[in-house]
Amino acid sequence: MRIRPVAVVLLGVVCVVGGAVGAVRARASAEQSGVRPAAGAADTFVIRDVRLFDGSEVTERTGVLVRDGKIAEVGTRVRVEDGMQVIEGAGRTLVPGLIDAHVHAFGDALARALVFGVTTEIDMFTDHQQAAQWRREQKASGGALGRADILSAGTMVTAPKGHGTQFGMPIPTIASAAEAAAFVEARIAEGSDFIKVVYNPRDGFGITMPSIDEATLRAVIAAAKARGKLVVVHIGSVAAAETAIAAGTSGLVHIFGNQPPPSDFGSRAKAAGAFVIPTLSVIESATGTAGGAALTEVPALAPYLTSAERGTLRTSFPNGPGSTLRVQHAMDATRQLFAAGVPILAGSDAPNAGTAHGATIHRELELLVAAGLPAAAALAAATSTPARAFGLADRGRIAPGLRADLVLIGGNPLTDITATRQIEAVWKAGIRLDRQPASTTANASQAIASSAISDFDGASITAAFGAGWQISTDTMMGGASEAKMELLKAGAAGSAGALGITGTIKSGSSFPWAGAMFFPASVPMAPADVSKFTEIVFHARGDGREYQLMVFAAELGNTPGVQAFTAGGEWREHVFKLKSFGIDGANLRGILFSASAPGTFSVAIDQVRLR
Amino acid sequence: MNVRCYALEAKYEFLKHLRMPAYAIPSIVFPVMFYLLFGVMFGGARPTAGTTVGTYMMATYSTFGVIGAALFGFGVGIAVERGQGWMTLKRATPMPPMAYFAAKVAMAVLFGTIIITLISATGVMLAGVRLSAGQWLALSATLIAGAVPFCAIGLALGYFAGPNSSVAIVNMIFMPTAFASGLWIPFEMLPPVVKSIGELLPPYHLAQLALRVIGSGMGAPAWTHVLALVGFTLAGLGLAWIGYRRDEDQTWG
Repeated sequence: MRIRPVAVVLLGVVCVVGGAVGAVRARASAEQSGVRPAAGAADTFVIRDVRLFDGSEVTERTGVLVRDGKIAEVGTRVRVEDGMQVIEGAGRTLVPGLIDAHVHAFGDALARALVFGVTTEIDMFTDHQQAAQWRREQKASGGALGRADILSAGTMVTAPKGHGTQFGMPIPTIASAAEAAAFVEARIAEGSDFIKVVYNPRDGFGITMPSIDEATLRAVIAAAKARGKLVVVHIGSVAAAETAIAAGTSGLVHIFGNQPPPSDFGSRAKAAGAFVIPTLSVIESATGTAGGAALTEVPALAPYLTSAERGTLRTSFPNGPGSTLRVQHAMDATRQLFAAGVPILAGSDAPNAGTAHGATIHRELELLVAAGLPAAAALAAATSTPARAFGLADRGRIAPGLRADLVLIGGNPLTDITATRQIEAVWKAGIRLDRQPASTTANASQAIASSAISDFDGASITAAFGAGWQISTDTMMGGASEAKMELLKAGAAGSAGALGITGTIKSGSSFPWAGAMFFPASVPMAPADVSKFTEIVFHARGDGREYQLMVFAAELGNTPGVQAFTAGGEWREHVFKLKSFGIDGANLRGILFSASAPGTFSVAIDQVRLR
Repeated sequence: MNVRCYALEAKYEFLKHLRMPAYAIPSIVFPVMFYLLFGVMFGGARPTAGTTVGTYMMATYSTFGVIGAALFGFGVGIAVERGQGWMTLKRATPMPPMAYFAAKVAMAVLFGTIIITLISATGVMLAGVRLSAGQWLALSATLIAGAVPFCAIGLALGYFAGPNSSVAIVNMIFMPTAFASGLWIPFEMLPPVVKSIGELLPPYHLAQLALRVIGSGMGAPAWTHVLALVGFTLAGLGLAWIGYRRDEDQTWG
């Protein structure tokens, strides 16, 4: 048979149509079923050609495969399959998500921590109800929440009027060794993941508050251990540290700095099997040095810091005259402990003065290296060591089967520990965090020229500037208090109107409040500059109860400055100096008129202004 | 000797391109330049379609380069040489006619290899492209073998296009089909109408085979693309055969 060219062409056309139809059908069915390999599954990705710090060892130019929120494979043979997202790791270092082993988590602390690569915060005292809610949420979501996980001591164990009672949250206290078992039991019932005890007789940090005695310390440690709970101790001096070690604590949550370490301290801590969280950053702050201020100048960190964080980083604790506290003593002790083989854990004690959630872990790593730890040991102190110490088996290392909490660093922290600040990406449970710089509105303080705030003489509740008035209650901290506000017909000094605030304070929150809050900037809680004024002036009358004027400012961090006033039956003018709240007014975020004692309340305010 | 005929024809075809670089320079420079512009400068390390922009574009612009070398080498080359009466002259020599085509295939393969090498080197150096040795081999082999259908299509074009219009005709066909096949911007990003046209075009099928190697592409099985390309080869050869017959009839009666 003779082949005709036309037949060849026709055969070709048939093949083309067959192939094209096959390709189209395959693509259409793939698109329909949602398994489009080209699109790439969001939670399956490969980081390749990266320097890997797995929590203890360094491997150059290897790969990590993450699937379904977990680390699936590690090694140079990790295979890139259809549809996988590939992240180039050349020149970068992949480390486990950082663990900050000493924080106090309030408000948005956990979300802020994650921005700086901290995927787990170990909390040493917060509102136990808030901690319980966070715990529930992180369990339900498998950790994929856009914020760090928390492991919390909840309520800490301290003496009546002891350290921990000064923060405005009424907390139960322990008076004697006999109460230890019941006290620990109550903490476990509240959900405490571990027990934290404050033992600071003759404290060296400048905290002059009553402490539990040695017998109570021993009883609490024994009770916690009997219930299978880790128990850690806050100490502030060499003597307290030695007693806590001898009493069998699982770990110390600070190192001392009041004198050089005794020569055998490290070996005794090692023999006792204790770990130590030195918290050099906060000790540095306690010596009166704002070492964290340098963080606000780091180009890779600065855009991500809020004005409040910059404010606290630039402050330090006041250092009393004659204080013997020295960072060098704390560093010497840390080096001695490390040399003796005691596990060293990185902790920031954020958000204390001089620290910020997330950011300060990077300063702590720098200080640990300055104290004499090799860079790899410092990195382990913020990853595998705390995971091991606190029994977090699913994180802290990069190995198959573990949770994909990862930080990609631009640079090599093993040769320069400050490279950890060059964060290129943060994943928690395999989900990449969309890191956004702190908004400019939250950073730039808006200058306020008007002295008048509100006279409440109009038809609605308005203010001369800012974001206006809003109800604020403890429901945001797990409480149940209520408040409402309304315009009243008759105001102070015969004026047309006033703001009435009524409500009920219900127990249920550790720190109950309810009231009305004025935001001076156009965005609630953004800072406004009212520093050309020196006083807050207002009229008030009410049911004769005591009320609080709370002032929020960037430099105060999350803790408001508080002054009390009594609202009696007659209108009375109240004047509070900004200085009395410890602020100069340059970064005022809010003014809250609030009740806090249980029961119903009714108060009216008028002629609110700055002077 | 027969082999010598083939070798000499290939050698002089190569020398021709060396001395008259009007074909060689655009064939090589354009794909590399496009890759630099779109694949490297617009963020080669950014992730896309299961790989990085730099890697994806490396595959598609290499495809673009290989196809261009084949289409222009055959389409324009044959149309022009037919017009010059060069074919008639060659028919009068003892050289086997196939040596003429073999030399053109050799040139297409040579230029394709140069383009792949240049774009790959650019990708590795400037866009952080990393592939395994197996992937590099598979990608190069796919693309070089993939030149064959386009040699066939170019051959057909060469027999039907006039010597002066051939460059315009090949461009008119090549540029839109390259775009619709996803060689310039990823196929996933094209409008649906363009996509459904693209799936009927030969460059789409070669690009998909190349993208499969690097773990990307639309995910259809390889056989569909191979079948389509075999079809285009047959159609091209068949049409070229018809054109060749027509020429022979005109020349020899």
